[in-house]
Amino acid sequence: MKTDFQTVILKLQEFWAQQGCVILQPYDAEVGAGTFHPATTLRALGPKPWKAAYVQPSRRPADGRYGENPNRLYRHHQYQVILKPSPPDVQDIYLESLKYIGLDPSLHDLRFVEDDWESPTLGASGLGWEVWGDGQEVTQFTYFQQVGGFPCEPVCAELTYGLERLVQVLQGIENVYDLDWNGAEGDARMTYGDVAHQMEKEFSAYSFEEVDASMIFRHFEDAEAMSRHLALKKLVLPAYEHCLKASHLFNLLDARGVISVTERANYIGRVRALARQCCELWMENAHD
Amino acid sequence: MTEWLFEIFSEEIPSRMQQDAAGQLKTLAEKAFQEEGLVYERIRTFVTPRRLTLVVDGLPLQTIEKIEEKKGPRTDAPPAALEGFLKTNGVKREDCEVRETPKGSFLFVIVKQPGKPIQEILSTLSQSFLEQFRWAKSMRWGSETKTWVRPIRGLLNVFEGHIIPLTYAGVTASNETRGHRFLAPKPFTVQNFKDYEQKLRDHFVILDWQERRNLIEKDIEKVAGDLTPFKDEGLLDEVAGLVEWPIALRGQVDAHFMDLPNEVITTPMRVHQRYFPLVDSKGKLAPYFGFCANTTATDGGKTIVIGNERVLRARLADAKFFWEQDQLKPLEHFNIALKTRLFHQHLGSIADKVERLGKLTSLIASKASIDPINVSRETFLSKADLGSHMVGEFPELQGIMGRYYALNQGETPEVAQAIEEHYWPKVSGGPIPQTVSGVILAMADRLDTLMGFFAIGISPTGSKDPFALRRAGLALIALSLNPHFKLSILEALGWAYDTYPWSELAPPVLKKREEAINDLWQFILERFKFMLKDGQGSPYDHVDAVLGVAHDHPTFADLTSRVKALDQLMGGQDGKNLLAAYKRASNILKIEEEKDKVRYEGTISEGVLQEVEEKTLFANLSVKSPEIQALVQKGDFVKAVQDLATLRPFVDQFFEKVIVNADEEKVRANRLHLLAYLRKTLHQIADFSKLEG
Repeated sequence: MKTDFQTVILKLQEFWAQQGCVILQPYDAEVGAGTFHPATTLRALGPKPWKAAYVQPSRRPADGRYGENPNRLYRHHQYQVILKPSPPDVQDIYLESLKYIGLDPSLHDLRFVEDDWESPTLGASGLGWEVWGDGQEVTQFTYFQQVGGFPCEPVCAELTYGLERLVQVLQGIENVYDLDWNGAEGDARMTYGDVAHQMEKEFSAYSFEEVDASMIFRHFEDAEAMSRHLALKKLVLPAYEHCLKASHLFNLLDARGVISVTERANYIGRVRALARQCCELWMENAHD
Repeated sequence: MTEWLFEIFSEEIPSRMQQDAAGQLKTLAEKAFQEEGLVYERIRTFVTPRRLTLVVDGLPLQTIEKIEEKKGPRTDAPPAALEGFLKTNGVKREDCEVRETPKGSFLFVIVKQPGKPIQEILSTLSQSFLEQFRWAKSMRWGSETKTWVRPIRGLLNVFEGHIIPLTYAGVTASNETRGHRFLAPKPFTVQNFKDYEQKLRDHFVILDWQERRNLIEKDIEKVAGDLTPFKDEGLLDEVAGLVEWPIALRGQVDAHFMDLPNEVITTPMRVHQRYFPLVDSKGKLAPYFGFCANTTATDGGKTIVIGNERVLRARLADAKFFWEQDQLKPLEHFNIALKTRLFHQHLGSIADKVERLGKLTSLIASKASIDPINVSRETFLSKADLGSHMVGEFPELQGIMGRYYALNQGETPEVAQAIEEHYWPKVSGGPIPQTVSGVILAMADRLDTLMGFFAIGISPTGSKDPFALRRAGLALIALSLNPHFKLSILEALGWAYDTYPWSELAPPVLKKREEAINDLWQFILERFKFMLKDGQGSPYDHVDAVLGVAHDHPTFADLTSRVKALDQLMGGQDGKNLLAAYKRASNILKIEEEKDKVRYEGTISEGVLQEVEEKTLFANLSVKSPEIQALVQKGDFVKAVQDLATLRPFVDQFFEKVIVNADEEKVRANRLHLLAYLRKTLHQIADFSKLEG
């Protein structure tokens, strides 16, 4: 079975489309995780059923390692599945998806290990597990209990596959940059490094060395102000997008080490307030 | 014998909650049966990652008939009231009896509730167990409103082979369950417990937690070969809750990681991966590890081993990188990072704490009755490793990395050791620091933490103790138990308060100095009582009695040996008689002193003593009392109470033969002085009035 990076993505798309998910595209703004995509954050709220799946490139400026660490990345890829309400056989379906991409449970040790999830910036939390494949965390499996401070009714299941780690297990590869990206031979062969190494190097340099803190602080203020303005105008999606921008700008400042511990809590609180406001607006319309 | 089998089948239950859950289910059942008046032979509960099971043997087939007398309305009540009463109880007017009461004539009726079939009761009970169960954390799922630790996916509920009806959170009870998730996923039916346990085993599930744990322990030893697994009870407990079908395997650690300190290698193994480190016959860490999979793989586990080795390699590669990075700069460099790391929002940063520790440690070092030593270097470096990469990634290594980094940069072994040891005792009853500077630093750290939180009004309440202040209190007492270390904790609380720059910190709540000291001191004394009760079984009243006479600045070493001596005395007949005599003496004194409006604490005139028994008692008290005083001052409480015990026959004889309230006033007053002397002598050990007898 082919286990190159792009085939795994294609198969997951195929699998979850067969399960009745709408297959979406990544959100086109910088986010730290697939959860931040409005298809998860906002759609998790309200009574309407919702099933979606998508890849989400996720940026974590503090995890940048100039392309030198075999496991840590400025930008990694998540495969995100959201199922509302959570189906009774959601664990079985999930395990089927692993089989579908070649992770055979008769050869591998798959386990659900307690890991409750919380996002202080989104005011969101849930209970679930990290799923281990031979001791490696390959998926975060969460039953959302609340988002933006609102209870999720009904509850949705969120499956977040860490694509790099998952493919590392499938290919038996240690260094993420050595992963087979396209499954081709000879000159046509592309590795993860061929595709992503330059980005890792340059964005690490950007976020650790070149970020102009005062400029980013200013951008943060702007994004926050714009989000508030848009919320007043009841433009929930643009307001939420500016909340995401503020969140990413905060991550940049944090990685740059210019935010003290006390200020940190304060900034997180400011982003959470924006997220909460967007969720509130979303909920106002949720019952239409 | 009848048998009820009830299984709650769910998605994976967190390992750390499983034991409590089994206990709670048992307690719920016991309580419910007691309330229902149901007898039974035996209750057992079992837990695996996916199921919580209750088995009850020997329940009756029916509950017993209940007979109850009910009082109705007055005979002259409106007809509607009468009808209502008859209807509620399912009786007719002629079944009732009229009885005269002081408030008029009323209707009474005997209501018989026939015995119910047990099935009906069990259906209600199983429902109420699910409703009443309390998980540390529970959740909702799908469109259900009920909660459980993780979604419930099946209910097996059978009594004598028959299904007990139950529907909960959208799941309907049946006689079916499932085995291992991968090795035998198909559901199967179950007749009774024996059948259940056997079929689970056939479907690759070992039901009994203890059996799984034993199996894991034995099999890890087996795969270890010539090597020996680290003894780690907590890890065994945890792994037993992570697998239904334990299969032990062995993996290898790359040789080039073996130069790292042992703790750096074993922490990711144990804490992050739940692996068992292995040591060779000389106790040296071997480049192998044991671990436990939850399945029998078709390739004998080869793929699983390779995968786990790869994960560990990645973790150790990180650790090695941190080890090297951290040592590019001197240890004190990390102190810079501590300036922005909060200790608590209203108590400043960790760097501020280190500064306070500097003052506290030098006070302790100079005031405790030991040779003054300089602890400034270890204090300065004590928290530095918190800023290192390694401790950032593996917080369990705090102190340990400080020791390694200090040694490697040429600090003295004592300084390095004190840095590690100042976190000791890590658990209640754990080892205390071996170096004097380690003890001083550890005490200062606890004093600072406890006083800081108490001063700003944060103290443990009920089960909530987010800053682990109870543990800090116990640790402080344990640290001060060294008898050569004469430090008054009460006095040290004042130093701790004074080292905080309160005006600068300006917390929203700040207790006054005296109040903060007093509150914290009472808290520490409570901890002390708890510790003595827990440790040597000393009753609380013994501790109270000792605290009642302790001078203002007692040491815990002193108090502990006093309580121990008192325990010993009160364990025997001598103590019991002395206590009885004491109570008699102080009762008499209390009454007479109130009557006469004087305190009988004066000197005894030997010439006025008349009876032989009072003369003997006086003679013995005059010898023993100063002796006991000297022994108490020396801290030899065992000998002091032995001395006290020798007084018993004389006291007994005195009360037997001598009448205190003699007719002659001079004789009477003299005898009261003698009783006061006895009381004073006993008070040198403890305030006997606080003893329950």
